[in-house]
Amino acid sequence: MMQHLSDWLAATWLSQRFARSNWFVPAVQSVHILAIALVLALLFTLHLRLLGVTRGGPPPPRLAAGYLPWVWRGLGVLLITGVLLTITEPARELLDICFRVKMLLVLTLVALTGVLQAGWRRSPDYWSASRRRRHLGGAVAIGSLLLCVCIVVAGRLIAYV
Amino acid sequence: MTALGLMHAIERQPFAVAIARSSWLFPFFETAHVLALTLVVGSVAMMDLRLLGIGHRERRVSELTASLLPRTWAAFAVAASCGLLLFSSRAVTYYENIPFRIKMCCLGLAALNMLFFHGVIERDVASWDEGAPPLRARIAGGVSLLLWVTIVATGRWIGFTT
Repeated sequence: MMQHLSDWLAATWLSQRFARSNWFVPAVQSVHILAIALVLALLFTLHLRLLGVTRGGPPPPRLAAGYLPWVWRGLGVLLITGVLLTITEPARELLDICFRVKMLLVLTLVALTGVLQAGWRRSPDYWSASRRRRHLGGAVAIGSLLLCVCIVVAGRLIAYV
Repeated sequence: MTALGLMHAIERQPFAVAIARSSWLFPFFETAHVLALTLVVGSVAMMDLRLLGIGHRERRVSELTASLLPRTWAAFAVAASCGLLLFSSRAVTYYENIPFRIKMCCLGLAALNMLFFHGVIERDVASWDEGAPPLRARIAGGVSLLLWVTIVATGRWIGFTT
């Protein structure tokens, strides 16, 4: 199925137009990397604060209120640039195992970020209300940090696998 | 010894040869380089956006800088170390590559901008720590952001021109 989708995309006018350009892929990839950098920096700052590794400054719920809208916007930019790159080089993305792993990891990160946000929307003290919630919040934070690293690694390995 | 001669000499070093010949060492160091660089750029962007008055307006500049700088430097150390190893494996190719030269120039300018900010502009930060930064601080933040965006873009372009 992926092969069919890849072949169909590669035959479209848009794909061929983008692929013919010398500057399109490097430019879109640069925007993609910059968006990754911002999302990673925001998530690292938030999760390290949630884990108590960094101290000082606003408490995690206030940090999240300021950061998470920008995380979602950054993910939106990543989705748009990712779709453009897939349209341009469908075989490179859709048929690559590292790309599929990366997408799975991204979806998991989105889910975990949503879980954290949902908790804070219920109450600013949600993730610190009990020992169990503190541990759960910590686990989500550690999981998210590991996912961030793995997503970047998987993304880079697309070029090699 | 000429500059090109030096590049050839670097390429002949055992560690450089090992990276060039190995099927996994180059991807490993490149992945570590990209990961560390995204952390550097992201952290720098957070500080620069604060200086531009766009993000973190409720946080004091000195407090934000103090919280972000240690991990920014740690990530930069990793990025620079991996970058040097990658460079050594194809020193001649990178030395002659225009986007690579632009990237290195921008890195140098970013370093000078940072030194100027921390050494001169930040001296009186107590007077503007909580409010909108003065024009000179905003210019430093804007220049830094522009330079790091260029560093990322030219870094990406290297892969398309070598």
